[in-house]
Amino acid sequence: MSPDDFDRLQSLMASRAGVRLTRDRMKLAEHRLAPVARAHGFENVGVMLAALWAKPVASLGWAVIEALLMPETWFRRDRASFDTFADELLPTLSQARGGAPVKIWSAGCSTGQEAWSLAMPALERNIAVQIVGTDLSRRALEKAAAGAYTGFEIQRGLKAETMLRWFEQRDDLWVANDELKGAVRFARSNLLDAPSDDHRFDVIFCRHVLNDAEPSRRAEILDNLERRLVDDGCLFLGPDENPDGHSVAFRPVAGRKGLFVKAPSAIRAAA
Amino acid sequence: MIVDDSRIIRKLARRIIEGLGFEVDEAGDGAEALTFCAISMPEVVLLDWSMPVMDGLTFLRQLRALPNGAAPKVLFCTIETRAERIAEALSAGADDYVMKPFDGEILSSKFAEVGAV
Repeated sequence: MSPDDFDRLQSLMASRAGVRLTRDRMKLAEHRLAPVARAHGFENVGVMLAALWAKPVASLGWAVIEALLMPETWFRRDRASFDTFADELLPTLSQARGGAPVKIWSAGCSTGQEAWSLAMPALERNIAVQIVGTDLSRRALEKAAAGAYTGFEIQRGLKAETMLRWFEQRDDLWVANDELKGAVRFARSNLLDAPSDDHRFDVIFCRHVLNDAEPSRRAEILDNLERRLVDDGCLFLGPDENPDGHSVAFRPVAGRKGLFVKAPSAIRAAA
Repeated sequence: MIVDDSRIIRKLARRIIEGLGFEVDEAGDGAEALTFCAISMPEVVLLDWSMPVMDGLTFLRQLRALPNGAAPKVLFCTIETRAERIAEALSAGADDYVMKPFDGEILSSKFAEVGAV
């Protein structure tokens, strides 16, 4: 892959996925794209990219984009956020909604561990929830919907007791049981796309997305999240992420890293 | 305390656990580990299943019968990955279960989940 190819890949990722592809990932990008080139019948990555630049075929373009997304996730990643969600937020919201399902969005859910980590405490507390996990990567979503994880993946963040309660062992994999699967729906969605309906969520988890986002697209992503969030809703970002400089729509919650509440008054004032 | 008959596993686990801020004792089997516990009860035990002299499950049952034996957090760490074995370990008093192979992130997250760090 030439430096020019990588420059073009950076532009492609920023414009279509809002993702920042840093130059230190050039070798990794080439490694990730090799199977895509083979699957599409190209001799090597360079030949594939030359064909893509000459004639941008959408299916190949998205295959390239998906291969370059970084799907790193695990169960209860940043466990303090999940404890806050399960022990404080979820019971309060359920009560405030009069027992109606609390609507939760795992935005950028990758292979699904975050969505399952939200569903398990809700089911354990008998709190009605509707959880949607979305991601740009079809491959990650296939794995998420299958709910099947290796021994290495399943125990990353999950206690054995919880694992046995919610997952069934099938050969070398641990598969989400029917009760857990019934609590989560997965769908493909691009965080850059403005909402096309008026469906709103009470809680949005969108963690470790902003830091990897192209800086010029962060405001757009936050705007779309804000439009999907009810007025008294909460947004969880990664513990080292914050919307500062890109959005006035959220206020941080003291003592809760990564937790923000929507601030309708600030939105009105900025309008 | 790391209880494992594999010197390599003990060395690997020691490096990770010392990184979490613990002082580490090592034992090569369950009987040796019980002797350590009688002298000084550890905060956390990382415990292999299959070992010579005394296996992990026997050690765990005898540990829990000792005065103060309920105090240590016990994490099995073994190549046994069948659900029935994991359930057996938990009902014998293990706090959590690590399936080999593991890495530093898995081990540190397990320590966090059982409240050891």
